[in-house]
Amino acid sequence: MTAPHRLRLRGGEVYDPANGVDGAVRDVCIEDGRIVAELADDAPELDVRGMVVMPGGVDIHSHIASSSCNHTRRLLPEEHAADPAAAPLLADGSAGRSGTGGTVPSTFTTGYRYAGLGYTTVFDAAVAPLMARHTHHEMDDTPCIDAGCFILMGNDDYLLRMIDAGDTARARDYVAWLLGATGGYAVKIVNPGGVEAWKTPQRNLGDLDTPLGTTQVTARKILETLTDAANGLGLPHPVHIHCNNLGLPGNAETTLASMRALAGRRAHFTHLQFHCYGAGGGWRSAARELIEYVNGHREVSVDVGQVMFGPATAITADGPVGYLLWKSSGRKWVNVDVELETGCGIVPLYYKDKAAVAALQWAIGLELFLLSDDPWRVVLSTDHPNGASFLAYPDLIQLLMDRNARDERLKTVNQKLLAGTALLDGLTREYTLGEICIITRAGPARLLGLRHKGHLGPGADADVTVYSRQPDLAAMFATPRYVFKGGALVAEEGHLRRAPAGDRLYLRPGYDDAVLPGLRRHFERHGTVRFEHYPVRDLPGRPREVA
Amino acid sequence: MTDAAATSGVTCLGCGLLCDDLAVSVAGGRITGVAPECTLARAWFGDGTVPAEVRVAGRPATDDAALEAATELLAGARGRLLAWLGPDLVTGAHRAVVELADRLHAVVDTATSPAAAAGILAGQRRGRAASTLGELRNRADLLLCWGTDPSARYPRLLSRYALEPEGTHVGGRAARTLVGVRVGADAGPAGADLSLALGADEELAALAVLRSAVLGQAPAELPAALVPFRELGARLLAARYVGILVDGEGGDAARRPQRAEALIALAQALQHATRATLVVLRAGGNRTGAESLLGWQTGYPFAVDFGGGHPAYLPDDRGLERLGTPRVAAALVAGDWRALPDAAVAALHRLPTVVVGPRASTAPFGPQVALDTGVAGIHEAGNAYRLDDVPLPLTPVLAGPRGAAATLEALARRVAHRLAEA
Repeated sequence: MTAPHRLRLRGGEVYDPANGVDGAVRDVCIEDGRIVAELADDAPELDVRGMVVMPGGVDIHSHIASSSCNHTRRLLPEEHAADPAAAPLLADGSAGRSGTGGTVPSTFTTGYRYAGLGYTTVFDAAVAPLMARHTHHEMDDTPCIDAGCFILMGNDDYLLRMIDAGDTARARDYVAWLLGATGGYAVKIVNPGGVEAWKTPQRNLGDLDTPLGTTQVTARKILETLTDAANGLGLPHPVHIHCNNLGLPGNAETTLASMRALAGRRAHFTHLQFHCYGAGGGWRSAARELIEYVNGHREVSVDVGQVMFGPATAITADGPVGYLLWKSSGRKWVNVDVELETGCGIVPLYYKDKAAVAALQWAIGLELFLLSDDPWRVVLSTDHPNGASFLAYPDLIQLLMDRNARDERLKTVNQKLLAGTALLDGLTREYTLGEICIITRAGPARLLGLRHKGHLGPGADADVTVYSRQPDLAAMFATPRYVFKGGALVAEEGHLRRAPAGDRLYLRPGYDDAVLPGLRRHFERHGTVRFEHYPVRDLPGRPREVA
Repeated sequence: MTDAAATSGVTCLGCGLLCDDLAVSVAGGRITGVAPECTLARAWFGDGTVPAEVRVAGRPATDDAALEAATELLAGARGRLLAWLGPDLVTGAHRAVVELADRLHAVVDTATSPAAAAGILAGQRRGRAASTLGELRNRADLLLCWGTDPSARYPRLLSRYALEPEGTHVGGRAARTLVGVRVGADAGPAGADLSLALGADEELAALAVLRSAVLGQAPAELPAALVPFRELGARLLAARYVGILVDGEGGDAARRPQRAEALIALAQALQHATRATLVVLRAGGNRTGAESLLGWQTGYPFAVDFGGGHPAYLPDDRGLERLGTPRVAAALVAGDWRALPDAAVAALHRLPTVVVGPRASTAPFGPQVALDTGVAGIHEAGNAYRLDDVPLPLTPVLAGPRGAAATLEALARRVAHRLAEA
């Protein structure tokens, strides 16, 4: 069976906030993998009357394809054994590929499960440049979704040298070269300077202005240099920042300082919930202070990094955080230092609703969503699998859309640290379907600069998710009625129908070739991989445009 | 390729280090030189000649006929098939074999040795404290070779990656301390600044003392043989970045489970006061790549059984151990059959077998189908993984027979088509 090249989705309740459509009943027309304004009357059609139609989901921050993910898979055979995934039978009679689940599913299963959830575009948010080739190998085996990756630069030796020398122009050229060499889509900063410090007796940086070792480099300078480089290069997504001091009580001060350091400059702060703990000793929410800043600064965007109760796995380039989690949990722990670039820490976790800190983290995430003035800039993530699996998105959506469900759940969690959170003040807000559409697809697509995604206007990729309306919102969002990827029906009520390869989303920004001789010398002196072997070649498709 | 030429920047799969800076000379269609000098590199490249035959039932055949016969045999053994991933294949070839195994509900075994498997299992219980090789080069001011003399099995480890280079945070040889611990018959390195020796039966006790010392909990009273290890613990704590080097292959497999876990525990304990990496040295070829690919496609690094229609992990009941039992009706050997254990080669004499890989036509067990291919990184381009999971591109230096990846992909397509028709 082949997918029809034309299809009219007839009479759905359409949510397309990028084009000002909020539940209007209308047709959505697909031709040759794109949305078109109209089709001839004889075009095949699918009756979706009474159903909710949205663009395919766009995940701005996940961990699905990296050497760190693969260390995690290999660390957790017990999770896989508990969640085997048989090969799905596809519409043409052929079989897909089998795999395993758990907090970090195998690649084919990842693609299938994302598609089954109505997501069609996913970014891996933390890829070590040296390991980018591995990420692309995994993405080659992750079907049904378009995928891209963010490249870790906030502790990169060459970049730190340029910052120390005050050579911001060379730093910008290096950023451009590195993105192109790795097939990356955006610049990622994790604990700026702190991961490099973790490899030395300094062990971490506690604030923005402590120098790294004997250099002039500080977290502030790293943030400023990379933010200016990304914006100066006109990258479609601004620098994607995991602040210093993740997970520590009182860290909101650092987060606010980081935002203020970049005031007026476009920047995305990721998994904000993990950076949202108030000062004054002990654990308390600082959601109000942080979201107030975000609401008032249009140049800032965030994803929430919601914690949901259940199993999770910390996968982070933030090596010192991995160490702290190991020390506090006593669970098994992987630490991998990646030469000249970054680190990796992995610890399996379980968020219990009866645990006070976990309950606080859960509440802070909800506070951030519910106190946000602008859903276009405060978008959904669980930092999969750090706060929860992406499979928890439907439950999270229910909490946001249904105050009664949220209040009932709130009663069941540990209350010890919740005093002072906005949740206990009786927040009545309920997200609308239009707002859910913004925080799960239209908003992330806009923040990522994906002009052909996150909307249903003519020319958009025909990535479309159709939901049957159900009183149980979690069930509705867990099992879309239809999911189309590039115009092809890939999933239907939880059953995979097709498993096409997705597109690769990557950039190749221009740079001054004068950066290359020094870079080559750097590789020869300090690297263990030859300069000419470093770039990833033969990526599928073509690089995306850079403004 | 010209008749006489030299290719630089060649990646060698002679050991798990995958040095990517070799120059390989070729004349008259043969490899004539490899630089810099390395015994394992010389052995890996040889003269580069491999057979280029295709045989079905021992007789010459076309590619098409061989692929058809292989499809028939493999599809007919669905559910009772062993697929073996050899180490001398590019990742693309491994990918095709795992797809075949998935579709045919086969059990997949690899060149992961029993000793290395024990280390992997220890890591699954406790985790890892690891790094890429460049952290040794750039940071390690103390190198502890535990029951390992790298010069024999990893000849360029100390010269290229660990001891002699000037690093970003540590100088060359003079700025580093090399400690060697001989364990039973497993020697330490020559030229160590400190050499210690243990009987094999003392190893676990010594590692326990070391860990206790690192944690500040070493007993005041110790047997005389273990006292130096308490003192060694203090030296480790005084270092800024400790590199612990251990051979993940060979040796006495029986004592590896406890040893591997004790070494991980030591490396993790060091993180409280300083920094450390445990680098497990692995043998040649793309065996790390096979483990990596199995990891991302199945969740398990080796010993994967698709018999239930999904991956299952059976590290205690690996595929090669099933040869000669009714559970295996046919085998697919992907890669050079010479990397198989002798017992497996013997068992394959009694089993219908498809061999796709270098020197397939020379297999002594009379495979039903044999398709000779080139060797990864000698005749075939692609990717392979260094022992620290860093993927590297491979540059072929010689024209050769058909590529293993393309051949196995063609076979996978035929099998998928056959199954869809059934």
